[in-house]
Amino acid sequence: MMSPDAMDAVFQALASATRREMLDVVRNGPGCSVGEVASRFDVSRIAVMRHLTVLEEAGLIISDKRGRTRHLYMNVVPIQMIHDRWSSEYSGLWAGRMLDIKYLAEQRSVGGCDGEDDDHAREKGEQT
Amino acid sequence: MSEPQAKSLTGEIRTSMYRVVIRATIDQVWSELIRSDRPLPFFFNGQYDTPGLQDGAAFAMRTPDGKHTLVMGKVIEFEPPHRYAHTFRFTTSDDPVSIVRYVLKEVEGGVEFTLINEHSAADDVSKSEKQMAQGAKFICENLKALVETGKATTGGRMMLFMFSLMAPMTPKSALSTNWPLECAPDLGDIRMTEEA
Repeated sequence: MMSPDAMDAVFQALASATRREMLDVVRNGPGCSVGEVASRFDVSRIAVMRHLTVLEEAGLIISDKRGRTRHLYMNVVPIQMIHDRWSSEYSGLWAGRMLDIKYLAEQRSVGGCDGEDDDHAREKGEQT
Repeated sequence: MSEPQAKSLTGEIRTSMYRVVIRATIDQVWSELIRSDRPLPFFFNGQYDTPGLQDGAAFAMRTPDGKHTLVMGKVIEFEPPHRYAHTFRFTTSDDPVSIVRYVLKEVEGGVEFTLINEHSAADDVSKSEKQMAQGAKFICENLKALVETGKATTGGRMMLFMFSLMAPMTPKSALSTNWPLECAPDLGDIRMTEEA
């Protein structure tokens, strides 16, 4: 369903720890501004803008311009489409359950968050 | 894209957005989005019951046999083929009324379809809001699949099948006899909800 180019763009956008973290920031603060995202990262504003453009072109971020401010929202649909390509409703359900167990077990074994950003993000992702 | 809205929830709004590019003409996407002559697979097989979609019109989304009603709403914006918005409430919940907006825009290679859910930020995140977030992904994916290929996604069709099996378990409160069009929530209801 998704064109090969569109899928490449999503994987490329996500193949960066910084960009994944930016996506977390936008997801946790729907409607946040570019400045708010930039303030969370220790890189130049231009670098932040460049990363956000990559995310936007991949369709993972929707930028809504109201007046002079751009408000950013995460768009989860491209990730959902990639998920659906490889898992049916059933296998998705059970894989989800298994991941729940994995995250829970890992959380217990380290006794909380040890600063592994990606794992932390996935934990949060599983809560909803 | 979303210039200040004349008709909206009052106070702070919690917004989420979903977007997909559909390889089709804007008129194809629009006519599929609003068609009322058959159940819509991307709307969980709901079928519009309405005197006609236009600004101010009430509607119910009913099951294909008409026996149950999934959602009640009232149109608050209708500008073919670009913008459509309505109030939204599940028949099975007392959660606050939300707004759903659809924005269609012609882009290179097709139509950019954006679905926007708006909830009053004064309310806690409700079960309805979570269901709407799940539903939004389903709608985007399956509207795209339907317009491009003539049918819903494989996962979507499986889900609709499960849905049909579960029909006997639908709560009595969703019986269509309980939901005449006069029950459609309008913006007045939204303010009442906020004051309550």
